[in-house]
Amino acid sequence: MLALLADGILDVLQLKYLVPLAAGTLIGVVGGAMPGITITMTVIMVLPFTFGLEPLQGLAAMIGVYVGGESGGLITATLLGIPGKPSSISTMFDGFPMTRKGEPGRAVWLGVWASFFGGLLGGVFLIGATGWLAEIALEFGPWEFFALFIFALSMVAGLTEESLAKGLLAGALGLIITIFGADPIMSVPRFTMGSELLRGGFPFLPVLIGIFAFAQIMTDIERARSLAESDASARDLVSLAVSHVKVVGEILGRPFLLLWSTFIGLLIGVLPAIGGSAASVMAYDQAKKLSRHPERFGTGTPEGIIASEASNNANVGGSLVTIMAFGIPGDAVTAVMLGAMTIHGIQSGPLFMSQETTLAYGIFAAYLLAHPIMLAIMAVGARWFLRIVLVPKSILIPVVLVLCVVGAYALNNTMDSVWVLALFGVIGYGLVKLGFPLAPLILGLILGDQIEVNLVRALMTDSDPALFVTRPISALLLALSAGSIALALWQRRRQRRRQPAADGAPDVDF
Amino acid sequence: MRLPRDTLAGLLGLALSVWLFALTAGLPKSSFVPIGPDFYPRIVLAATALLSVAVAVEGVRGRRPRLPGAAPRRNLRLVLLTFLVFGLYVALLPLLGFRAATLAFLLALQVVLDPPADRRRWVTVALVAVVTTAVAYFAFERYLSVLLPRGSLTGF
Repeated sequence: MLALLADGILDVLQLKYLVPLAAGTLIGVVGGAMPGITITMTVIMVLPFTFGLEPLQGLAAMIGVYVGGESGGLITATLLGIPGKPSSISTMFDGFPMTRKGEPGRAVWLGVWASFFGGLLGGVFLIGATGWLAEIALEFGPWEFFALFIFALSMVAGLTEESLAKGLLAGALGLIITIFGADPIMSVPRFTMGSELLRGGFPFLPVLIGIFAFAQIMTDIERARSLAESDASARDLVSLAVSHVKVVGEILGRPFLLLWSTFIGLLIGVLPAIGGSAASVMAYDQAKKLSRHPERFGTGTPEGIIASEASNNANVGGSLVTIMAFGIPGDAVTAVMLGAMTIHGIQSGPLFMSQETTLAYGIFAAYLLAHPIMLAIMAVGARWFLRIVLVPKSILIPVVLVLCVVGAYALNNTMDSVWVLALFGVIGYGLVKLGFPLAPLILGLILGDQIEVNLVRALMTDSDPALFVTRPISALLLALSAGSIALALWQRRRQRRRQPAADGAPDVDF
Repeated sequence: MRLPRDTLAGLLGLALSVWLFALTAGLPKSSFVPIGPDFYPRIVLAATALLSVAVAVEGVRGRRPRLPGAAPRRNLRLVLLTFLVFGLYVALLPLLGFRAATLAFLLALQVVLDPPADRRRWVTVALVAVVTTAVAYFAFERYLSVLLPRGSLTGF
């Protein structure tokens, strides 16, 4: 395994892979730092650039975006008190007060180094666990896969802030999108409404890009006071000079905190469709609960920054495990990666590790190398990124939309995908306005085809539906699904008794 | 009385499921494949219908009262305009070709989102539009071998 990893690293160190990886990381850092541009948006923008590249080049670029993006958000969060993306919100809780106390360098570099260590520890898990989990997944029959997908959906629906019924309905609506087009057994076209365009069903990526980009951009436009605004404080360049030995010492001197936050990040990453924001908030919360000085949290304590940043970078490693071992995207970013792999004709799933070994280890290597690259980018440019952040939304939004159109069009060089993009843009915004959480919807959309294939395959193999509950792994997963829904119901009941829920804005990130 | 948001969402979900469920009746059956193309959609649509009813009922019961306080100002007109400009872009793309349509779209949407007040801003808007179009065109067509739409009217 180590020999394979060494080969992978040597591969990726070649310029033709290193350049896309470094470029992706840089773009990720910038995208992560820009308020209102999430990592998903950034990876969607990078997508069309990867079509013409080799698979590993494209994936390296996307992994760079992912790793860079998780770290980039901390710059604006700590220095300006504006989280560049949702998973930096908990970094801001202590990072910004620390800056205010006159230690901006310490705040930024605690975050960067915590990201670095959290990410690398996540990498150890990624490399160690993927093969092992893939072997388990190889034992899965259609019953187990079906049960696994149902479990994923029920869990995500249960985690949404909105009502449980609405979370589940959002997931089911995602499934509906996938029943259009040819059925998996006899390829009978379904629900085409007489349109040629719908014979093959809705293409996955344009739907995803449409729902995502528009839900995000239109919500931004709707809420913005002025799209020309920029933060004046970002114009002053602050000095970020700091003793790195001391900062690293501060992090490594708290090994338990670092490991625990990394573990939480990994766990959330492995679970499908729960993103970095949940990971960092949860790790922050845990760090506060376990701390001897919980009252210092929120005033600029290093523990808060370390917990939040270590966990959101470890989360990336966890998401990659899920996609590589099971072929299930851990979140929207990996869903786009999965789409990109499909375009190159690569089948992800339990066989991926054994059939595409070189590519798999290339992905591991890219993930590991992205971290030192991120560190170098931060060392050179952290304070300059504040300037880039000043680009007004009125410029950013049109450019992003053009890239979305190119991404959809270039998938198979037809305008059909662009129509689908526009249609789902409207639908996506409508769903946000109706208060639907997007995470379960996207997961339903991602898993829909697989759920149908495995359900039908199971029943064709053996018409006895009882097998779903008599096969042990399948039964366990279905029991966990029921359990997670019951837990969600119980939690909501308890919450409702305490306080009426706020009619908050739906969360468009995950 | 205005419909509660959740009730509206539930009713829309219900209408969609019932409509699609009705359409499954028209799907062909096969005598040698016991599980037809309508099998899975019907399960999904039945589930959506039930959940929609649950959401609609939750909305009527008003279980989640709004917190008092001023609602944030919403800029719905701008959203509508953005959709309109984007719709025009998508419609014109196959007619005018990528270069012309994209240039026009970038100019139009920038002006809509933040109307330029002075000459300097107009120059910025124009520069952004020209540079983005040119960079996108050359990067994709020349370097990344991604073909972009040609205009059927302009041949450009």
